This record gives sequence, structure tokens and C-alpha cells, in this order.
Amino acid sequence: MKSLNLQRVFARNTYLISFILLVIVLGINYIVQNNVFELRVLNNNLRTLVPLMLLAVGQSIVVIGGGLDLSVGTLVSMLSALLITWVTPDSTPDQILLAVVLVCAAGMLAGLVNGLVVAYLRLQPMITTYATSFIFSGIALLLLPRPGGSIPRDLSTFYRSPLLDIPLAFYAIALLLLFWSVLRTTRYAQYLYATGSSGAAAYATGVPVRVVRVTTYVWSGLFAALASLTLMLSTGGASQANIGDDMTLDSIVAVVLGGTRLSGGQGGIAGAIIGVMILRVIRNVIFFAAVPTWSQTLVNALIIIAALAGPGLIRLIRRSIGR
Amino acid sequence: MTLQLSVRSIVKRYGGVVALRDGNLDIQSGEVVSLIGANGSGKSTLSKIITGVVAPNGGQLLLNGHPVHFSNPQAARGRGITAVYQELSLVPDMTVAENIWLAHEPLRLNFRVNRKAMRKNTEDLIALFDGTISERLQPDTLVTVLPPDERQIVEILKALSIDPQLLILDEATASLDSSQVNRLFSLVKQWQAAGKAIIFITHRMDEIFRIADKATVLRNGQSVGTVDIASTSEREIVNMMIESAATPDDIKIPVVSEDAPVRLDVQNLGGGRVEDVSFTLRDGELLGLGGLHGQGQEDLLLALFGAIPYTGRVKVSGKEVHYRHPRDAMKYDIAFVPGDRGREGLLLVRSIIENFQLPSWNKYGMLHNQDAAQRDAHAMADDLQLVYAGMQTPVNSLSGGNAQKVVLGKWLLRHPKLLLLDDPTKGVDVGTKGEFYALLKRLTEAGTAILFYSSDDDELLGLCNRVLVLQDGRVRDTLTGERLTHSELVAASMGATNNHEVA
Repeated sequence: MKSLNLQRVFARNTYLISFILLVIVLGINYIVQNNVFELRVLNNNLRTLVPLMLLAVGQSIVVIGGGLDLSVGTLVSMLSALLITWVTPDSTPDQILLAVVLVCAAGMLAGLVNGLVVAYLRLQPMITTYATSFIFSGIALLLLPRPGGSIPRDLSTFYRSPLLDIPLAFYAIALLLLFWSVLRTTRYAQYLYATGSSGAAAYATGVPVRVVRVTTYVWSGLFAALASLTLMLSTGGASQANIGDDMTLDSIVAVVLGGTRLSGGQGGIAGAIIGVMILRVIRNVIFFAAVPTWSQTLVNALIIIAALAGPGLIRLIRRSIGR
Repeated sequence: MTLQLSVRSIVKRYGGVVALRDGNLDIQSGEVVSLIGANGSGKSTLSKIITGVVAPNGGQLLLNGHPVHFSNPQAARGRGITAVYQELSLVPDMTVAENIWLAHEPLRLNFRVNRKAMRKNTEDLIALFDGTISERLQPDTLVTVLPPDERQIVEILKALSIDPQLLILDEATASLDSSQVNRLFSLVKQWQAAGKAIIFITHRMDEIFRIADKATVLRNGQSVGTVDIASTSEREIVNMMIESAATPDDIKIPVVSEDAPVRLDVQNLGGGRVEDVSFTLRDGELLGLGGLHGQGQEDLLLALFGAIPYTGRVKVSGKEVHYRHPRDAMKYDIAFVPGDRGREGLLLVRSIIENFQLPSWNKYGMLHNQDAAQRDAHAMADDLQLVYAGMQTPVNSLSGGNAQKVVLGKWLLRHPKLLLLDDPTKGVDVGTKGEFYALLKRLTEAGTAILFYSSDDDELLGLCNRVLVLQDGRVRDTLTGERLTHSELVAASMGATNNHEVA
């Protein structure tokens, strides 16, 4: 009975294994980089993670709903370009607020397009969002042919400093978890998980499956907008047309490292946040372990593949022993 | 609140296939009506139309005398009509409580799910089956860890959770054990007394007599009549289910002699839906597999082909075999024609010749002897009277009958000694069927042993001298000689007890 309970705990809280993994990689990180837990280092490390965390949260919602969004990275590029064409160092707070609202609206609109195509035209999520990702990257290039841009200095200074001796990123994480804990109790969350786990069963029970699918991409678009806002805060507004492009794969890897199954219907955003941290810590370790620069990409990729293949490998080994 | 539902002349077509040509049914509160019919008679389609899962192409539903039209399952639920489905309706990654209350969760402040109330209501529902289920079935258990019988019970509770006025039980007893069935039946009696109407679909004859007031019989998508259970017999129902003028084919395959070598000897085989099946098959024999759809026929063939794990003992030509992969079975000259040819039998976008050669690549050497391959393929195509534009034509341009010939041909190129056929004439035109029958005859004359599942009863009766009838994964009956008749076959499929007749 006890072991069954433990199994249930793991089945329900899929991010527990990820959390253990995070503790392990943090331990390794501490060995190679002793000052990793100092406030200043922690603040710097975490701050650069916030955009990817937001992106991974949006990606989680899509994946839980049974989809996949390959356009999030270039969407961040496009929205960042959009933001800094509107905001200059001399913008008034009103103008900035307007720009922020417009960027969020643009992100949700982009997500809506993805969602409508996937849910109503029934195209594969992967193909659809891969295709739209080029639209977004094309628009980003039009808006921002040359790297550049900046935002009022006060904003980026505020974003860089800890508040009440706690890194600002912690507030972001707390807000995300609060958002999720509220969302998780709604009927919408039941629909989301049901749609991702078995669309046919959900439909036969009266769940508006297509509407739910569309909303997941709208969430993803909104979180891409929030990601681009925080990204611009951390760069001080300096952007380029492909600034977010590499974040797509990272967001998916983070979701998987967080214990969310890519086939949908299971997982949560806590996992994605942990996944982002694991990803970052692994890169930290590679950097501080003095892996030669030219091998870093390869080592990084191998570690990620191993982490992703982990659960499948364990199942395979268990089955072959069971025989 | 009383309810009276009349189904009038419902028509439903799927593409060119008519699933239901004239469906009629009457039921009112406090009645249990059993809906029965053979494979493909339209039972499930009719129940799906009543619950709004599929839309009819014609006909009318009258609810309390007024025409109604359900465009989706919610609309029917809104009028208190729901069904317990055999499959499809549970979300595996959610808990029992979440599944039961999906889309009508009790809410707090109109948006937050009230988990406490949900759990409490679920416990009350589960209590209905107390004593027949394991400890495992709790509100917070994930559905994916439950065995089939308990999943079925969750399905039943889910349908009950909307407090329906009309409940359709579609083969709901198929995966339940006898204590669970007894409990369900006593609940059905209670619901009936409380004024609910229940449509009961089953493939077990005894259950109809235990629980139903009336039975409506469907045949080929047409309702052929309704009888009062109190004044009918199993025999009468069986006779209603079968066509009066069944024409057996005249190409009966000759009875194989007793001293022909045994090709296949199966003892206590289990696996998938199959349980404890034993039989022998001799060279040159065509052994039929009958029964309703999904009673384990497909799993039996898959197990014998090494495609699913099995227990028990299988001997091929007297030698015990343990194969784990279809490749192992192929080494024993076994071939399998799967039931779903588009998905499992063919590479649809590839050419005829590629499909022909797929199981025999190595026969033509590493560097593929195209001449030999072409020669063999043409010979096979001629032999099968394949109608085709050219060997390079993609298979998806062929008609159903011709595509099936390619599936058969690709295996015949390997000269199998044992052929496993899963409903090979499904969706095949009449002319080609005749050619198939002649081919089967030629093959058996050449000594090939054939295990032949068909959903077409006439075919089994016309061709085979021995038919195993499966029900719930077990051999319910073995029909030979004089007992090889339509009514015996239907009776055995429904698990009817032949000697016992109700007056």
C-alpha cells in the first residue's frame, strides 16, 4: 500500500523527478562554481531565465492540451522588434503602457491564428507552427533590419536589482505558480487535460475540444509577449531580428525535462519552470567545468538527449529485466 | 417526469456504405428494451443517433410525441438521454472523479471546481457497486491504472451522474464479471422501478431473457420486429436475426482426410482477448473462425503470427514454437492477411510490385534481381487475375478487391504452408469474392492449411467444414456436419443454449 501511494505521488506530481534532478545538477554546479548561491550571482542567473520560463509556461499549456508550438521563438523575436520600434529612451509611461498592451495583444493574435489553423483546418500543430514561425521571423526582419533599440534606463535598472534582497525572478516565479494554482482549479483546466489526454473521449463527453485547442495557442502567444517584454528589460532594449529564435527548442526541452509528456494530457507548469532551471544549470556546469568552447554545443546537446531519453530508457530496461 | 421515445425510419450512411436503412424503436419510462442484431446490423449506429453522437441522414426522433434533433451529445444529455459506451469516453490521465464529472463539474463561485463535492458525489456513486469492486477504485485513482471491468463501471457511473431519463447500455456487460453483472441488473431493476427507460444492447442471449421486457431485432440496418420477452423463445429471436433465404456457395471445400499431417496444434492459447483456445488444423483444411466482431478472432490470428505475446503451447508441424516477432512466424512458412488492409496490409502509396516483394526482398538477393522479381510478380498477378494498369501503379489506385489481391499475393509469393486470414473479403465486391473462394479451394487442394476468420456467416457456412465460434475470447462451440447451419452459428455467437427453449 505504501509503495502504491508513492507511485501515486509521482504519477500526480510529475515534476518531482525533475525536482530531484535539479537538486543533483545544482550540487554539481556548486562543486565547480562555489559562489553560485550568492545573491548577486543568483540574481544574475535567474534574471536571464525569466523570458525562457515564461515561454516554457506557454509551451506547457499547449503541450498539455495535446499540441506543440514551434513558433514561440520567432514570435518573441517579432514582438521584441515590435516593442522597441514603439518604445524609445524618451517614451512616457503612458506610451510604454500602450506599447506593452499592444505587444500582448499582438502575441495573442498570433496565437489565435495558430490555434484556428490547428483546431479548425486540422493541420498538424508541428507543421502549422513551423510555417507560421517563418511569418513571424519575416515580420521581425522587416521591423528591425539592423540590431538596435533601447528603453528608458530606469526600467532596466529596476529590473536588474533585487527587491527587498530577493531576486526579482522569484517574484515572477511566485506569480506564475499563483496563476497556475488558480487556473488549475477551474473547469477550463479539466477541459485542457481532457482534450490533451484523449480528444475523442473529451468530445463524446461534451467538452468543447476545438475551442480549448485554440485557447492553448492564445495562452502561448500571450506568454511569448511576456517573454519578449522581460527579454527587452534584461537587454536594456537592445534587440535583433533573430533574438528569440533559439528559444523554441529550449522551451520544448524545458517542458520535457519538467516531466510533461509531449503526447499531452499530463504535466504542469511547475515542471517547466524547473526544466528551465535544469537546462540553465547544465549550461553553467559545462561553462565552469572548462569544457573547450568549440565542444560546448556538442556536450550540451548530448546531456539534453540523455536527460530526455531517461524515462524511456528506464522503461526499456525495466521491461527487459521483467522478461 | 415520464419519457416516451420513438425512433422512426432512421437512415444513416457512412460514405457509400449504408449502416442503417430503416431503424425503428419505441421505448418509454419504466421499460427495458433490448436491441439485438448480428454484426453490422446497425445497433451501435442507432444508439449513437439517439444520443446525438452521429447525425442521421433521414428519419425522425420523436420525444414525447415531438420531433427532436440532437446535433451533439450535450443536446441529448440536456434532455436526459445518455449512453454507456464500450470505449472512447474515458480520459486515461484523469482520476475517476474527474472523469465522471467532466463537463458538469460541481462549481464553487461559478468557476472553481468544487473538488470536495465532486469526491463526495463520486463516493456515493461508487457505493452502488460496493462489494463487487476492488479497493483500488477510489475517486482519486487515475483511470489508466484500472482494469477493464472497473473502467466499465466508471463509464456506467459517469452516465448515471447526469441522472438520465433514458440510459443506453451498449455492451456494458462485456467486460464485467458475474457478480458485477448481477449488481448491474439489480440496479437496472431499481432504475426501471424509479421510472427510467433503459435500452440494453448485448451479445449474450441469456442476459436478454434476464433483464429485458421487449426485444427489438435489427437485421442489415433494418428493424425487423419487436417481441415481448415473456412470450418468445431464443429460437424465435435467432430466426428473426438471420435472413430467411441464405444461399450457401456451391464451392464447398472437401473434407480433409483424418490422416493428413497436422500443420498447427494449439493448446490453451491465451493473449489479448483470447483465453484458453485449443484446436488442431490439418494440411489442406480450411478451418473457419466465427462469432460476433471483436470476440478475440483477430487477437487469435495475431498471436499465431507472433504479433502479440501469448501463453499456452503452439506446435507447427509437430514442433513447438516460441516466436516473439512476425519474422519468427514467417520462418515457419506462416502468412497473415490482416483485417485492416489499408493500415496493416499495404504500403498504400507504393507500387504494386514493391508491395508484392515486401515480405520476400532477400529472395532476390542483395542487389535485387529485378528480372526475376518482375517475372514472379507478373505470374502472381495473372494467377490472381489482378486488374491493374502497370506494376508501377500505386496500390491506393486499386479497387478494394484488387488491393486485397495484392495483400494475398505478397504472401503467396512466399508459398506459405499455413495461411491466417482476418476477414479477407470485407469491402470486396461480389465478383472478386467468387475468385477468392476459388483461390482458397485451389490452395487447400495444394495442401495449404488455412485459418479463416470471416464476419460474413454465409461465407463460413458455404466454404468450411468446421467452424470454431468464439465468444468473449473462448471457443463457444465447434460446428461440423449437420450442425453447420445459420441458426446454429448465430445461436452460438450469442451464447444461446440450444436445447433449452422457452415456451
